[in-house]
Amino acid sequence: MSAAQWIGNPVFSVAFTIASYAAALKLHQRSRWVPPIVAACIPIVALLLLARVPYAVYNRGGNLLTWWLGPATVALGMPMYRHGIALRASLPRLVLIVMSGSVVGMTTAGLTAWAFGAPRAVVMSAVPKSVTTPIAIEVSRELGGIPPITIAMVIMAGVLGASFGTALLRLVGVREDRAIGAAMGTASHGIGTASLVRRSELQATVSSWAMAAAGVFTSLVAAILALFLR
Amino acid sequence: MLDFLRGIAIVLGFDGLGWGLHRVGVPIPGGVLGLLAFYLALSVGLIKLEWVERASSFLLRHMVLLFVPLTVGLMNMGQLLQRQALAILASLVVSVVAVFLTTGLMGRWLLPPQPVLPGLPLDEEKAGKA
Repeated sequence: MSAAQWIGNPVFSVAFTIASYAAALKLHQRSRWVPPIVAACIPIVALLLLARVPYAVYNRGGNLLTWWLGPATVALGMPMYRHGIALRASLPRLVLIVMSGSVVGMTTAGLTAWAFGAPRAVVMSAVPKSVTTPIAIEVSRELGGIPPITIAMVIMAGVLGASFGTALLRLVGVREDRAIGAAMGTASHGIGTASLVRRSELQATVSSWAMAAAGVFTSLVAAILALFLR
Repeated sequence: MLDFLRGIAIVLGFDGLGWGLHRVGVPIPGGVLGLLAFYLALSVGLIKLEWVERASSFLLRHMVLLFVPLTVGLMNMGQLLQRQALAILASLVVSVVAVFLTTGLMGRWLLPPQPVLPGLPLDEEKAGKA
């Protein structure tokens, strides 16, 4: 039996992916700086290269996991609702802030990529790079982007924000917890939010609300943008 | 366990609803439509938070697993990535800085520091979930 037959069977590829993910989480516990998504992909890519099995064969099983991104997007409504209750006094102002940030994020990402001569598919992949992965993937598809490139950019936007975001905010005099949380959630989604959890409860709450809200606003703006592109 | 399954079923139902709405022509991704409907249903009390809390948290906690297969697809894009590396990096840095400055400065303007409000349900809210 060939390697492709094994890897083409979803039972094997899904199990191997879950195992790689579990190992990546363990590694992340020990070495905080290794992002689980990067560590989880390495054994899989290594296996496919060593066994000379094309990605499409692995993805027969991989697709079963990708499919769950839809329900995961829906699930974001739960923290958005729960945190929305806690933040209700400042909600209208937070909506305005997150909405402006989302529009600025989309336009600056797209325009900069375009100015550097990127082809249209890459420009469109850059547009949703600030929002949480499942929504970014859907927006990228709608706009004619390339989802894996979007994912790579989403992860890098998260890591950049988590590493330098709070320092940049301090530099321009932003100290208020809700303002820090709103900026982090809008620019750096879940990865940025996770970096606030140990700093301040209020920052993390606002950030996870902002991350869901930015996802919603970005897909609304993208829907309008897509109408003009047709 | 049954509790958890009920939550998953509700979430799947809303995902299906979003997919349907998208199919009949609403130009927003199905998952986001599902999210909005789900949020609305929670807000008006059609579904209770405790019905969906565990299932939603589970899906969100392990979201990284769900985008591993797509990320592995980057292995076929070495050439494109190499050619576009500069554009991608520039776009990232410019845009991340721009978003932080816009939201942060708007926040400084619109959300002035305030004394802690008594009775804000933040602590109890989080205690159950941490």
